[in-house]
Amino acid sequence: MRRKDRKPTLTNKIISVVLVILILVFFMWLSLNAIGLKLDFSTLLEYRQRLWQGFYMTIIISIGSLFMSLLIGSITAVGQKSNILTIKYLCKAYIQIIRGTPLLVQIFFFYYIIGTAWGVNNRYIAGILILSLFEGAYISEIIRGGLESIGSQQYEIARAIGLNSKKTFKFVTFPILMSHILPALTGQFASIIKDSSLLSVIAVIELTQTIQEITADNFRMFENYIFVGALYFILTFAVSLLSRMFERRYKHEYRTKKHL
Amino acid sequence: MKKLVPIVLIILLGSTILASCKSKTEDNTLTIGMELAYPPFETKDEEGNPTGVSVDLAKALGEYLDRPVIIENINWDGLIPSLQTGKIDAVISSMTITEKRREVIDFSEPYADAYLGLLVNKNSNINSIEELNQKGKVISVKKGTTGYLYATNNLMNTKINALSSENACVVEVTQGKADAFIYDQLTIYRQNKLNEETTKALLIPFQDSENWGIGVKKDNTELLNSINDFLKDFKENNGFDDITEKYLKEEKQTFDELDFPWFFD
Repeated sequence: MRRKDRKPTLTNKIISVVLVILILVFFMWLSLNAIGLKLDFSTLLEYRQRLWQGFYMTIIISIGSLFMSLLIGSITAVGQKSNILTIKYLCKAYIQIIRGTPLLVQIFFFYYIIGTAWGVNNRYIAGILILSLFEGAYISEIIRGGLESIGSQQYEIARAIGLNSKKTFKFVTFPILMSHILPALTGQFASIIKDSSLLSVIAVIELTQTIQEITADNFRMFENYIFVGALYFILTFAVSLLSRMFERRYKHEYRTKKHL
Repeated sequence: MKKLVPIVLIILLGSTILASCKSKTEDNTLTIGMELAYPPFETKDEEGNPTGVSVDLAKALGEYLDRPVIIENINWDGLIPSLQTGKIDAVISSMTITEKRREVIDFSEPYADAYLGLLVNKNSNINSIEELNQKGKVISVKKGTTGYLYATNNLMNTKINALSSENACVVEVTQGKADAFIYDQLTIYRQNKLNEETTKALLIPFQDSENWGIGVKKDNTELLNSINDFLKDFKENNGFDDITEKYLKEEKQTFDELDFPWFFD
């Protein structure tokens, strides 16, 4: 019997998870011991209100940017395939410029120059817009790659079995696209959550800004940043769990069962 | 499962070895941390070498103690943690002695006095700190500075935007996104000169002076005492006058004309 075929039992899984956690905790404990650092997270308790607000704001900004960047990404992905050269080049220029410059530079540029010129003075709206523009360029490339990966035979078959263009999109293009791009898209959504921390440089009061302000007050940098790291991890982990769920949904087996 | 055991053992063994092999070689070097982003006190020259008032002070301290000095450029937020973890021996970075900071590190005797000032947008019609403390007014401060602490403790009605750099704070004021920026008088004076068309400077002191001290790790009494001896010696030998002459000649003149007390008096 080949080992590969054997599925891990539940106990095996649980033991392994516990072991992994033990290894990580032991490593952390060793490191802290080596530099003689005592962590005291109880000091964070008095800031729980502000931490919660920062956490909440990070979620709001991330969700806002998630939808906006998907929209921008989809439009520019299609725009890149446009027959009108001006639109095509405009989309390509946008992607090249955004992907070729650091987010920090874009935040300062868009907030203080473009934002000021066009009267976008609300830093939260500006923050969501800037983040969406940034992530949109990456999402655009992911979607474009996904669209190009669908072979022309798929469409020929769709036409052969008599699907109209709306049904072709619903039953062919969209599911194949989703199953191809979901993993990459998930990574990008996790990036949005993490990249939102950079908005702290224009004083958007999200999680990172909150923790920096608290650090200026209690000087417990290590406790503060470890705690915030854990909060970000909870968010990104939730995203990857959600995406795992969607990935299963766009598997052929699942859809076949549902539609037949 | 059988395969897992050796893997776990290797990881545990590896990390134990890693943790035990860190050996900090004891040497004589005095490592001094400062944020090189605060001219003319801590900054860099054209070649990128540290220069400024605090740098000269650090070098003089090294000479006095007969120890070679290394200057570490550390972000403001990282200065106190660096002291706490022993990455540096002392902080000389125009750091104000505050009660909160005293809880986590020790300070030398004060070596300079500074006052906070306000850089105000010309259109916002603010003439005093009281006029700033009302709904609808916006103030920009640099995170972690005494200006930030003053604003969070005293300007309850004002909206406070805490930014990470002095420059961002100034841009907020010049663009009218903030009504004012709180920082030390000297920076306010300098930034006002750079942005004369859009800003005005309110330099009248609105609180007691802030004392700058040299920070050391808690309970490092030996170093603290020798730093205090050094400061006394440096003052007696007119070291601060030489520094003023070298870096702050023009500012000293202006302060004298305005009849403001000078940093090192």
